[in-house]
Amino acid sequence: MKTIVLGLGNTILSDDGVGIYAARALADLLRGAADVREAELAGLDLIEMLKGYDRAYIIDAIQLDGEAPGTVFRMRPDDIRITPRLASFHDIDLVTALELGRRLEFPMPHEVVIFGVQVEDALTLKEGCTAAVEGVIGALVEEIAGEIMERPHAEISVGLSGRRNRRA
Amino acid sequence: MASGKAVDAVYKVKIPPAAAKLRELYYMAHFMHSHTAHFYALAAPDFVVGPDAPPAERNILGLVGKVGLDLGKQVIRQREIMQVVQQMIGGRATHPVWCLPGGVTRPLTREDRETIKGFAPGLVGFAELGLKLFDDLVLKNKAYLDLILGDGYELVTNYMGLVDEKNRVTFYDGTVRVVDPEGKEIDRYDGADYLDHVAEHVEPYSYLKFPFLKKIGWQGLKEGKGTSIYQAAPLARLNVASGMATPKAQAAYDKMYSTLGGKPVHKLMATHWARLVELLYAAERLAELVEDDEILDPNVRVIPSTTPSEGVGVIEAPRGTLTHHYWTDERGIVTKANLIVGTTNNNAPISMAVKKAAAKFIGKGGEVKQGLLNMVEMAFRIYDPCFSCATHSLPGQMPLTVEIRDASGETIRTVSR
Repeated sequence: MKTIVLGLGNTILSDDGVGIYAARALADLLRGAADVREAELAGLDLIEMLKGYDRAYIIDAIQLDGEAPGTVFRMRPDDIRITPRLASFHDIDLVTALELGRRLEFPMPHEVVIFGVQVEDALTLKEGCTAAVEGVIGALVEEIAGEIMERPHAEISVGLSGRRNRRA
Repeated sequence: MASGKAVDAVYKVKIPPAAAKLRELYYMAHFMHSHTAHFYALAAPDFVVGPDAPPAERNILGLVGKVGLDLGKQVIRQREIMQVVQQMIGGRATHPVWCLPGGVTRPLTREDRETIKGFAPGLVGFAELGLKLFDDLVLKNKAYLDLILGDGYELVTNYMGLVDEKNRVTFYDGTVRVVDPEGKEIDRYDGADYLDHVAEHVEPYSYLKFPFLKKIGWQGLKEGKGTSIYQAAPLARLNVASGMATPKAQAAYDKMYSTLGGKPVHKLMATHWARLVELLYAAERLAELVEDDEILDPNVRVIPSTTPSEGVGVIEAPRGTLTHHYWTDERGIVTKANLIVGTTNNNAPISMAVKKAAAKFIGKGGEVKQGLLNMVEMAFRIYDPCFSCATHSLPGQMPLTVEIRDASGETIRTVSR
């Protein structure tokens, strides 16, 4: 199964870079098992990055009301219209991008898993994450690598149904 | 790009010609990338699928369904090329890492130049296709033409944009020109002097400011002759200019103004047309720049030798005139900054356009349909606003709510997106 791991974010906006940092940590671990890329993209641009793969893991920052920083949410595309990065006046969201790719008859991944890491601070101009977010990157990397390489691994991610605050 | 120009000014350094051309080359690809997404993903569905079509259909998926898969594939492919060009020149497509005080970090290689030269004809053709689509799908449809020419989407203000020495549209460098609602030049200045020409009004209900022309003074949210409000978006740039600096874009510019009855045009929906004229200009300018042999000159940076202090950088962002102003200490550490981003210029016009559209389409005692939301959205969508840039707020959703009130001010219905 051809797999891509895509880290999204901005490394000069504190926790917004968590997807990139996780992808960098996964690059060596997954050599030969998956393509690992990092990008500061969304919407239409993701079609080109994702096409040709059977399975995609996307790692990004997320900001949900009332959630503890460092909580890792495991989602499917239909869950993620609520993230700031993927709801923009300037572009389409990931769900639409995937659907558009399929309608254009591109070979889009049939399995897409999104890991959203709850941020503490994604607005301060700073390299590196806050301690709460930095502290989960290792476990997140282990979970993704374990899943792709089909080896025993602990899971730190939770589904959106496990949210503390379901309003937002 | 504006920050790059601002730090050049902070260090009082004039960058080498090749560096300026490389920055402009990168910027043409960026402009195309931005304008393409707006037209095909955000604007065209209103016209091709229909302004009051259900949101589930009124999107790029609906557009592709109506116009065909080949167009969708072209949009994706050409956007990818625009990203590749930016990455090739700037190191990264988004947040490039090669602009420095005094120029750029590296010259263009011969190999990369040849690659970009190979892309150029396709990019120009793609931009021409956009104008053809607009012609076929919008201008030849009486209902849509009526929508463009109707008074629901009209706003009479001053206009601002950068122009070159012949008053033609320019994006990377030029002089700020302002014309009044009749098209007469009422101001012209070097971007570094913006504080003498533009001021920002504050209203207690918003932390997004309302720029206005200083010499006229704040007159409130008022349109028509004498207003101090200006617009700075694609239509404004074309209204301000005498024309375009490339041949095909000039022909498209002439066609637009002859169709719409001369200059300036106050019909807001013409902004979509103007954006496509700019898309063609950016493609043609990219092709010109990459053919220029000076683009390969390895001299792409002047090392600054003066003590940094203060500087202003002004460019045309896709959404309007973008101003960065930095004050630094003697080490070059920024101690104060002021930004007027594209969308901020258009804050007052957006507010006024939304109000006019709502008043027009709601009507007295009329039925309020869900489609009304989109008719109102269309009034601000033409500006391609970046409220997150302008306000530094990322709510993560579109918090659009329309409240219908009766004559006494009582809310009788609320419609949310």
